[in-house]
Amino acid sequence: MAISLLPDHPAAWTYRSWEELMSIPREEREKLQLEAMQIQFRRLRDRIPALKKLADRQGVDAIDRIEDILPVCFDHRVLKNYPIQIIENRDFAKLTNWLDKLTAHDLTRIDLTGLKTIEEWLGRLEAFGMLVTYSSGTTGKLSFVPRSKDELGPWKFHFFNVNYAASGVDAWTTKLPTFFPGYRGGYQTMLKMMSLFNVEMAGGEEHYHTLYDTHIPADLMALSGRLQAAEDKGEVAALGLDPALLEQRQQMLAQGRSKDGDLDDWFTGLIERYRGQRVKIGGTFSDLYRVARAGLDRGVRCAFAPGSIISGGGGMKGYKDAPDDWEDQIKAFFGVDFMGNQYGFSECIGNAPLAEDGFFYLPPYSVPLLMGPDGEALPREGVQTGRLVLVDLIPQSYWGGFTSGDEVTIHWDDEDTETGWRAPRIAKSIRRIGENEGGEDKITCAGSQQAYNEFMEFVAGEA
Amino acid sequence: MSGVLDIPIIARGKVIMPGDDAVIYKGRGGADFRQADPHKHIHDLVLGDTSRLRDLHDTPMAEIIAVLAELGKRLVLADNPLLQESFQLALQAGGLAEPILRGVYDALPHMFAAEGMAALVEKTIGTKYIDGWVPSGGDYDTVSIRAIGTRQLHITAGNVPVVAAMTIARAGLTKSDILIKSPSNDPLTANAIARTLIDIAPDHPVTRHIAVAYWKGGDEYMDQQIVRTSRIDKITAWGGMSSVRHIQKFLTPGIDLTALNPKYSMSMVGRETFASEAVMDECAIGLATLAGFYNQTACANTRIVYVESATDDESIERVVQLGRKMLAAYATLPPLLSVPFIARNRELEAEMAAVALEDDFYHVEGDTLHGGFIVSKFNDRVEFFDKLNNRVVNFVPVDDLGDVIKWCDDTTQTVGLYPEERRAGLLDAFALAGVQRLVSLSGGDPLTVYANSHHMPPGSPHDGIEPMRRSVRWVVDMRPAHHAAHLSVAAE
Repeated sequence: MAISLLPDHPAAWTYRSWEELMSIPREEREKLQLEAMQIQFRRLRDRIPALKKLADRQGVDAIDRIEDILPVCFDHRVLKNYPIQIIENRDFAKLTNWLDKLTAHDLTRIDLTGLKTIEEWLGRLEAFGMLVTYSSGTTGKLSFVPRSKDELGPWKFHFFNVNYAASGVDAWTTKLPTFFPGYRGGYQTMLKMMSLFNVEMAGGEEHYHTLYDTHIPADLMALSGRLQAAEDKGEVAALGLDPALLEQRQQMLAQGRSKDGDLDDWFTGLIERYRGQRVKIGGTFSDLYRVARAGLDRGVRCAFAPGSIISGGGGMKGYKDAPDDWEDQIKAFFGVDFMGNQYGFSECIGNAPLAEDGFFYLPPYSVPLLMGPDGEALPREGVQTGRLVLVDLIPQSYWGGFTSGDEVTIHWDDEDTETGWRAPRIAKSIRRIGENEGGEDKITCAGSQQAYNEFMEFVAGEA
Repeated sequence: MSGVLDIPIIARGKVIMPGDDAVIYKGRGGADFRQADPHKHIHDLVLGDTSRLRDLHDTPMAEIIAVLAELGKRLVLADNPLLQESFQLALQAGGLAEPILRGVYDALPHMFAAEGMAALVEKTIGTKYIDGWVPSGGDYDTVSIRAIGTRQLHITAGNVPVVAAMTIARAGLTKSDILIKSPSNDPLTANAIARTLIDIAPDHPVTRHIAVAYWKGGDEYMDQQIVRTSRIDKITAWGGMSSVRHIQKFLTPGIDLTALNPKYSMSMVGRETFASEAVMDECAIGLATLAGFYNQTACANTRIVYVESATDDESIERVVQLGRKMLAAYATLPPLLSVPFIARNRELEAEMAAVALEDDFYHVEGDTLHGGFIVSKFNDRVEFFDKLNNRVVNFVPVDDLGDVIKWCDDTTQTVGLYPEERRAGLLDAFALAGVQRLVSLSGGDPLTVYANSHHMPPGSPHDGIEPMRRSVRWVVDMRPAHHAAHLSVAAE
């Protein structure tokens, strides 16, 4: 039996159980999604300045079909289309002005006096009612997600839901001590989610264990490239950074150098302390593999209680030449059968859990579309591969339509899935568009990324 | 072209067609090709025994130039089926439009002109040094020096096929044994030229010291087999950091690497440009030419233009006007130099669209078919500057042209300048910063601007170095000193 959901309040859909959300027949779900999208677009079109500009430029005033949303979805780069110079100059007035165009909140009312760092700026925004987090890509430039406290409740409900779907553990009732081999605190999206949700899921601060009890300040993340270049030229002083920040950078660099050993010591302690207990282990798969490999080499294996889970992410990025059976090695070392995984990106709240059949299932408040090579919408039928566009229906204070940089394969037919879940599902073969694709056959004298990418495509035989 | 094209390995006068052991390589636009497995032909590719270079060593330069000049005459696209085949493949696999690629091929015979080659050897090595031992004269007359040919591996660039021709010419002109690792976006040009040489002079020493093959970049087995001091003396690597880094893994002392890294080029425009419409027009034609030639696929193409301008609305508007004039000038470029693109560059257009939403900071016009520009409304380039292609240029206002130095380093190849009066004040400072060539945007006509920025005498430096001079070994022959000196030592 299908549940009743209102198209004018998709954020409230997150309060329903995962099973309920996964039981809506396709026709009904898409009708609901279209209606919700229409209402959302109508409400935000002229209210979010950046969306208004895009919609005016594209000549889109109304949405008749789900595909009509495509031209008014923000490219993911829109969340970092400010000049890096304003970060270097710590020009918080300009930065705030820039962010103001992405939210319905009036950020011009924020008092910016006395701000010296990006961290402080993010704190000032939070005090005002925003929940702005950042992520940093390969270039180091920060993307800011213009989220606010309006989204906090639904975000949390979704997060508990998706973790249940990915692990079978209901975090509202079952608290598992959690190990996370990384940093703690701050505004980086994943770390912010940890403070907001994961700590509670673990049963409190004392049950949430991180390798470090601090985090890398956003300022250092944002300026890492420039700092390195300035250091080479002996011009660090000219950047005019707070000496404390530079000192912190040295500590972070030292921390990075000793990470492998620290990781091993830290895990060894936890493995002893939590022997026989049910736990949750998080982190990137490459870190988990490092620990597992080091342990297996010493002939050590963990002895946690049955029902313990691993919740990883990030693939094997950062670990070269991983063996094919790295998943089995991780499971063998930790003595855990179940490895949960999720797929999503920080712009969108509604990410997708990996089900036992090897597919990521999207919740109904995340509406997927696929874009073909010429920017066209691909048919929402059968099995299709293209650039993933997600329309997040949850946000009330900002526009949730985003074009990602990922190429994914979606199976649209939802009637006979192994899980019984009815939703479009994404296959595990996810590819970052433009990512280095095999071979190192350099062939052009022009020092431009495009020339390089073209070459890489050619080598991979994909162009 | 459809299906799989058979490409031979060229092994010192031998043409090895793909047989049962052939390997298929993926190519762009379905231009897959098949070649004999290079793993099984290592000994056809390298020269382990240096004494086998003797034949080329003993051949006078005049004779070498004669055979290369004869080769040049056969490199006429209309008459040479091998070249026609490589032209088709380069067209399909490479990044150049048909009229431009045709122009590049039409220039091949000229590259082998006898007079130019003789001047090249004379300027960079000295003909007498490559043909014999040259005494040092005076008190040092017993000390002689000679330029000796070497065994070279060339990892060539494919974005402009002249690289293949240049490499083959330089092999003969340095009396060296060369192995060319073809690029996958131009797998056939070197091949076609080498086969033409086999046709006209199968037993000539030059022919017998040229090998050409394709293998996939990063093929460790190949690199391990080839990059050994017993088999290779010099490596010239065109292209990116990753290819250079990869090769460096196998470098040992004794192998000399000339790394022709990827380069970036730009232009700078003084405030004098805004004196009148006519002056702006001249500058815009210069910019369109340097940004547009070869459809912006070369390292010497301008991708960023630094403009001496304030950043208030009125000043930015004048920069926008200059950009519009440049776009208009693209349309006047001869097809031999530049033509509109037939496919969009989606990635770059996405970048342009993303910053176009931010009109406090950027002004964006045009597209990736006909060209376009992005004006920064502050003193910095766009962060995706390394993706600028398809005749899309970033205009960046600066207070003073001297400020541009902070964006220059050893990767800055060519800098276009306007107006000429500013040159003297900038030249040495930019040379110290790493810039390798300062050219002119003046002239007011595309072919003049192009000629002024390209016509260098034979033997001019490339990317700040003299590759020919570097690819020979300079050997010293020291005979006993003069008789008198000898006796005085003995008497002590």
